[in-house]
Amino acid sequence: MPSLKSFPIAGQRQKLWRGLDEHGAPPAPSRELGAAPPPDDATSRRSVLQLLGASAALASLGGCLKPPDEKILPYTRQPPEVTPGNPLHYATAAVIDGRATGLLVTANEGRPTKIEGNPDHPSSRGAVGPLEQAELLRLYDPQRLGVVQHLGQPSAWRDFLQATAEKARALRDSRGAGLRFLMEPGSSPLVGRLRQRLADTYPQAKFSSWSAIPLQQIHDGAQLAYGAAYEVRLDLSRARVVLSLDSDLLAALPGTLPAMRDWAEKRDPANGRLARLYAVETNLTVTGMNADHRLRLKPTHLHRFGLALLGRLAAQVPALSRYAPLQQRFPLPPESAKFADAVAKDLVAAGRGALVSVGPRQPPVLHAAAHAINAALGSACAAAARPVLHDTNAGPRTLEQLVEEMRGGKVDTLVITAWNPVYGAPADLNFSKALSQVPYSVYRSLYLDETADRATWVIPSLHPLESWGDARAHDGTVTFIQPLISPLYSGASEVETLAAFLGEGDRTAYTQLRAFWESERPDHFALNWEKWLADGFIGGTATPPETPAVRHDQILAAAMQVAPADSSAGIEINIVPDYRVWDGRFGNVSWLQELPDPVTKVTWENAALLAPDTARKLGLRQGDRVDLGLRGPPAHATVVIAPGHAEDTITASLGYGRRGAGEALCRGLGFDTSPLRHTDAPWFSPGLTVTPVGKRARLAQTQEHHSMEGRLIAATTTVEKLKETGEELAESRAPLLTAYPGPAYPGYRWGMAIDLSRCTGCSSCMVACVAENNIPMVGKEQVALSREMHWLRVDRYFIGDDTGNPGVVVQPLMCVHCEYAPCEYVCPVNATVHSDEGLNEMIYNRCVGTRYCSNNCPYKVRRFNFFSYTSDYTNTEKMAFNPDVTVRARGVMEKCTYCVQRIERARIETRLQDRRIRDGEVLTACQQACPSGAIVFGDLNDANAKVRRLHEDERRYDLLHELGTRPRTAYLARVTNPNPELA
Amino acid sequence: MSSLFKPSSNTAFRVALVALALLFGGGLIAGPMIYVRTPFFTQQQDPVDQPVQFDHRHHVGDEGIDCRYCHYLVEKSPSAGVPPTSLCLNCHEQIWNKSPKLAPVRESYFADRPIVWNKVNKLPHFVYFNHSIHVRQGVGCVTCHGRVDEMAQVEKAQSLAMGWCLECHRHPERYLRPRDQITNMTYKPTEDQLAIGKQLMEQYHVETRTSCTTCHR
Repeated sequence: MPSLKSFPIAGQRQKLWRGLDEHGAPPAPSRELGAAPPPDDATSRRSVLQLLGASAALASLGGCLKPPDEKILPYTRQPPEVTPGNPLHYATAAVIDGRATGLLVTANEGRPTKIEGNPDHPSSRGAVGPLEQAELLRLYDPQRLGVVQHLGQPSAWRDFLQATAEKARALRDSRGAGLRFLMEPGSSPLVGRLRQRLADTYPQAKFSSWSAIPLQQIHDGAQLAYGAAYEVRLDLSRARVVLSLDSDLLAALPGTLPAMRDWAEKRDPANGRLARLYAVETNLTVTGMNADHRLRLKPTHLHRFGLALLGRLAAQVPALSRYAPLQQRFPLPPESAKFADAVAKDLVAAGRGALVSVGPRQPPVLHAAAHAINAALGSACAAAARPVLHDTNAGPRTLEQLVEEMRGGKVDTLVITAWNPVYGAPADLNFSKALSQVPYSVYRSLYLDETADRATWVIPSLHPLESWGDARAHDGTVTFIQPLISPLYSGASEVETLAAFLGEGDRTAYTQLRAFWESERPDHFALNWEKWLADGFIGGTATPPETPAVRHDQILAAAMQVAPADSSAGIEINIVPDYRVWDGRFGNVSWLQELPDPVTKVTWENAALLAPDTARKLGLRQGDRVDLGLRGPPAHATVVIAPGHAEDTITASLGYGRRGAGEALCRGLGFDTSPLRHTDAPWFSPGLTVTPVGKRARLAQTQEHHSMEGRLIAATTTVEKLKETGEELAESRAPLLTAYPGPAYPGYRWGMAIDLSRCTGCSSCMVACVAENNIPMVGKEQVALSREMHWLRVDRYFIGDDTGNPGVVVQPLMCVHCEYAPCEYVCPVNATVHSDEGLNEMIYNRCVGTRYCSNNCPYKVRRFNFFSYTSDYTNTEKMAFNPDVTVRARGVMEKCTYCVQRIERARIETRLQDRRIRDGEVLTACQQACPSGAIVFGDLNDANAKVRRLHEDERRYDLLHELGTRPRTAYLARVTNPNPELA
Repeated sequence: MSSLFKPSSNTAFRVALVALALLFGGGLIAGPMIYVRTPFFTQQQDPVDQPVQFDHRHHVGDEGIDCRYCHYLVEKSPSAGVPPTSLCLNCHEQIWNKSPKLAPVRESYFADRPIVWNKVNKLPHFVYFNHSIHVRQGVGCVTCHGRVDEMAQVEKAQSLAMGWCLECHRHPERYLRPRDQITNMTYKPTEDQLAIGKQLMEQYHVETRTSCTTCHR
């Protein structure tokens, strides 16, 4: 029996001590005396265990409590189209830089929950990019501006209308002198009519457009080549050889979606001869990652390369013979010369299948040169069409004229509907100062941003999912914007703001839109209107392609005025639009901030990208802080070493370094590039100074692997070697020896195929996955600890020893649903199990968070909720959740489910009709969003299913096949088509 | 004096101690497990107060209104649907239109404010139940909701625990009925339930789905 002496005596308090150190410790300072007590950070193992025990006991007590009371609120009068529990889909559009992408938005009981592409839309054909999908989060952003502001004080739309009516009376008397409109570049026919009416009412008023990423140089190039503004309509369905001169046409950005789909078809070996892609660019882009050959050039050399190519083509194409002098004028270094020779030869051989595509940042003369080449080769891939935008000159020069007027006191009333010119305008314009000199300014914005700080009136904008409107798609098709939810905050759409100056501010956008289209197309209007809204667009309204004559003499004259390259230019700056926040307008969207940049895999900020050799030369390492200076105050950037980047150049993307009061999420992330942008050189300029400041920063980069450790992970081969590599691929899909009979799957056998030949790495699938599956965003610090929650990631691998210009292959990777899943063997609580259809299921309510499964997963696709990331969501943010997917709690493992909620919905729908699910009826979210059709999902037991054909393809291989996991997701090796002359 | 206890009583005492400890320890685990299965926890047979004293006995029993007149979403939606207020007024516009008991209904309709009902059959949020498919496959209303026609205030009839769900998902033949008897409150199989159930399973292509993601997503 233990002695009673060892028990403490009741009622007697004694100091307990374990050793002399503890015993002799000085008494803790008294609370009343001196400063605040030191933080109690002496958390002992014992106290942690005590707390753990207590919380475990409390947690188990929680199970004894009765479930909370829940309420049911039925409609008072149920709208006939609503069936609570079943979602509805509406066609609408997202407008970025004035042009629309057709969308199909899912609404659950009146709240939009998912944005997808409109499959019937003639321009985007069901594809959707990351930016359009992220509009959903902007709608529910609690940081949106909720109330009209007048001189920084809350006001009301009524007050604005009253003030505007008084203003309008005075302006009418002065015939609109001093009235200026600074518009978002737009294509809306309704806004076009309003502008016309405003011009009639105020003859001296002026309209101009501003965008930080204007298409002006495309229009100017067409002006030079054709004598009128045109834009290029790409049709890659007939492409054989494509040369991209800084044209990022595979990146799921505004306007590239049809090109991506066509290109994917041209890169599928099953469709016959592969097309070939050459990319000439400064920084590695998504297009560059997919190019068969890539030449990296400093920005100032790029357009000269294009002109030199035109000179080379002169000898081979009679129609271009007059350009022969360009070859001497722009001599090329040996590497570029070899590239140009091979490209020229290939383009000529491709004839009608040739295409030279030029990016919007390049000078007009290069656009004109491309028009000359495409026309002379008879290219069927590029057609000229009249621009869909109202203003073709939305660039910094137009803004400069306005700023001069503002400084000169000629502007009395300025209406700004353009996105945030104070932030986006080049620093040398000092738009912010000019704006404070305007006595009466009106700014319409979703957030209280940099421009809102200086405007007299700030009108909250309605989100596109809350408002009516119209716009033209990238091919000119008239597309309608219709609301899915009544406005969350008080606000106004662009048409309502403009109409206020016509005294019609109380006419809603819907009334205006309907009246406008009724006057435009009165025949059978009521019937047509319903059809247009149901379809989302008016069919047959695309602007027709034209064949204007190319003015070769003017192009040659302009080309001869370009000075030959100056090789002593030093370090150059290269500003690019950001893949995630575009020009900054998507800055407050966490889905995009946490989306790794498709190329650099940096999250939550932008960085100064530079080539490994340049970094060595400048003595810079990854993560070093530097000051970038160009004719003005410096920008403070963090260095990221980017393989594939041109030497002696630093690339920085737009849209970061935000300072707006109302955008807490993006404020202070990254750095602002506007000090490096100037009116005469908004995109690139030599003479950049790079000064290390001796500090370092921590980056949250999701992939820093540069090798595949010799394993067949992302397989890539060439057309010639496809037969040779066939054996290796066959080996990595062959059945493995096993003594077990294996499970039978008599019903559905779900499987997926991912074609690496089609995937460009645009990352649209990642955003779709996040939106569909309620995946939380975790923030920069957590990403830096590898705790990002993305179920689907897009891995980017560099190939080859050349760090300067390596090959790249990208690979989307999510749970591959192994038939023999290593995660299932190790789960102690059976929280991950196999379904009778072969899905590897994750049961959240069983999971206790041991993370054994994640450790045992060879594909590393399982994600753990280290924190309760969604617990502090506001009610508005919670409206974005998909009601068909559980919102996971802390301490739970999660991973790709093959969108099982969509399978189950389809199963129930088809069983109500007493039939099987047909191929193509279940689309996973990633598959649905993919602009290239790289992801295919379906039933492997269905002999006619597309996924079955792909599983039997000669390019099919299994990831880590040697482990015997038998993944249900098969990969198809990427096939490139290099030019033997450049090998 | 001899000892009060024999030496063997030491052993008996130790055995008793260990048994007590085991019983107590086992009870700590088993107790809550038993408790959550009792009606105290599952809230079965526990009438729920509602803002409107709606009596199913009268509407279903006396008037013989089919369940689907009010719960009309049951065949096409995951949720059976609590009827919109306008549906109540289909009848009560004409009859009992001055009854004080229906004041909340009229108030709701004219103020366009929903009636806030208290939920009776609560499922955890990680469970996705779909009414339409169950009704389609021949699961009668009464099987889960009990004799609603005898309830003055609706109460939970079954535990809705996972084991209870699985019982039917494993052996649907024990519970299925013909589709035309779904809303029948007094249906009794004319012959052997198992035989009918098996035949209906075949006829309606009923599968015994027990994979986790059938309900948990």
